[in-house]
Amino acid sequence: MGEPERRLTRRDFMRMAAYAALGTAVGAEVMAGEDGPSAGRARVVLVRDEHAVAGDGQLNASVVERMMDQAAAELLGTDNAADGWRRLVKPADLVGIKTNAWQYLPTPPEVENVIRQRLLDAGIARDRIRMDDRGARRTLAPCTALINARPVRSHHWAGIGGCIKNHIMFAPRPSVYHPDSCADLARVWNLPVVRGKTRLNILVALTPLFWGRGPHHWDKRYVWPYKGIFVSQDPVAVDALGAHLLQTKRRLHFGEEKPITPTKHIAMADRRHHLGVSDLKRIDFVKLGWTEDVLI
Amino acid sequence: MVRGWNLTVRVAGPIRLLALVVCLMALIGCREGEMGLDKLMPQDVEGWRAEATGRVYDRNTLFEYIDGGAELYLAYGLRQMVAQRFERERHPAIVVDLFDMGSSEDAFGVFTSEQREPEAGIGQGSEYAAGLLRFWKGNFFVSIWAEGETSEAERAILALGAAIAKAIEPPGDVPELLGLLPKEDLVETGIRYFHDHVSLGHHYFMAEENILGLSERTEAVLARYRVAGGTRYLLLVRYPTPGDASAALHSFVANYLPEGRQTGIGRIENGKWAAARRWGDVTMMALEAPARTQAERLLDAVTERLEE
Repeated sequence: MGEPERRLTRRDFMRMAAYAALGTAVGAEVMAGEDGPSAGRARVVLVRDEHAVAGDGQLNASVVERMMDQAAAELLGTDNAADGWRRLVKPADLVGIKTNAWQYLPTPPEVENVIRQRLLDAGIARDRIRMDDRGARRTLAPCTALINARPVRSHHWAGIGGCIKNHIMFAPRPSVYHPDSCADLARVWNLPVVRGKTRLNILVALTPLFWGRGPHHWDKRYVWPYKGIFVSQDPVAVDALGAHLLQTKRRLHFGEEKPITPTKHIAMADRRHHLGVSDLKRIDFVKLGWTEDVLI
Repeated sequence: MVRGWNLTVRVAGPIRLLALVVCLMALIGCREGEMGLDKLMPQDVEGWRAEATGRVYDRNTLFEYIDGGAELYLAYGLRQMVAQRFERERHPAIVVDLFDMGSSEDAFGVFTSEQREPEAGIGQGSEYAAGLLRFWKGNFFVSIWAEGETSEAERAILALGAAIAKAIEPPGDVPELLGLLPKEDLVETGIRYFHDHVSLGHHYFMAEENILGLSERTEAVLARYRVAGGTRYLLLVRYPTPGDASAALHSFVANYLPEGRQTGIGRIENGKWAAARRWGDVTMMALEAPARTQAERLLDAVTERLEE
């Protein structure tokens, strides 16, 4: 417990005037004792549409399809989504769609269907497209390209369940990555079955969960129709914004700081594992569509 | 089989015999534990019937049931848990998760980890909201939830909870540290009891590093107090020895409150006050107090209780 050098504390966040983002990953630049941050900048596109989710919680498939296409074209700088997807994958690829099967808030079928259709449009044969979550380590291992798609939600131990965490099912023993609030989750992205394969990260924020209760961390009172979809080629950047969104929603809802678990894994993915950019100041964030209550 | 065991015992002598007895006692203990969990579970309530036998998990297998969420229970010393599903035709299923935490203090700790709803009147502390009942009694923490919210399911959940709470005997004690908390302005649902640094970070981010030297051997209580325009916190940590408590105080001041090196109190960047001191094996910290006197009064009140 000796203290020859000062550690990063709550007070450092106050000094940085980043108090509002306390507990998210934006403190990367003051995280002492780690390597430098990842080089360069990241780009994240958020598309929102007020008609994406009906009053009863049902998703509007055609609106979701339009949102996904807008997001892909904007992110990849193409005139249309099909051209964008053709940049991501080639007909020779065996493509795996890594979804999330958490029973309370799975990757919506509406999103899965758009991904599958756009892969077909990009010239991938039907039998060269696979989709899985829990069995990914076995079924998606041979894939040459991965599309990573899951909803953003609060997670008891890791802070948020986002795109970085979604690849944990490629690990032989996921619980190995749990110590210290899942700080080193990004190591999963270095496994041979994952490394360098992920072409697109889709963080679904149509109905995010911003707070959870009980052993199963679910309470539908804390799900809200944000009606958004984030896309990025940088899993760290998209998760940093997802964490920022949940944190902002918590503060608004509870009227007080309810910090997300220090979401160390996002900052560590940047500083220690150089998987991507966690510093919000180095993320080019493009927002399209509906602006009401955008929060971030 | 028995003859073989007898032969082994005869040949190996008293040490092997002792080891054998210990192993047998451990085996019997495990079975009793599992049977004990089953005995606490009613078979039917309000038309819902227990489905087959509950699944039992221990520290090594809990991840199979609540991957990710398991860490919370492990941090509180979980021994084992049973998950029992109840079914009723044309009604949502109800799931009971019954955790044997090994001590009433840790059962209480798990309960407080996310407490925020009003008391529901079951066990020694409970809350019900949105189809989820959480309560603790004795060494057990219990979660009961329905896979859909209906008035019938709510009645069944509360009835199940009452039946399980009644079966759990004896009741347990809350952590002694709670007795040190000043009552004035205390937010009863804002008390958190825990052991380690990661748990502290869930409730109050103080530092990336474990500057307080928290571990499974320390006991900590974080309490919230209402103040005009916000919240102040009191953090109490009991260490194995006064020397450990003293080292923690030194580390806290050096890393978090260097301006308090002489007085143990200082003003922080948001204009609020932090203060720390030690009494015996307890290190106490007042955090985010709007006024210097409020920080000092909190620590004075704890010190008075310790001196009693």
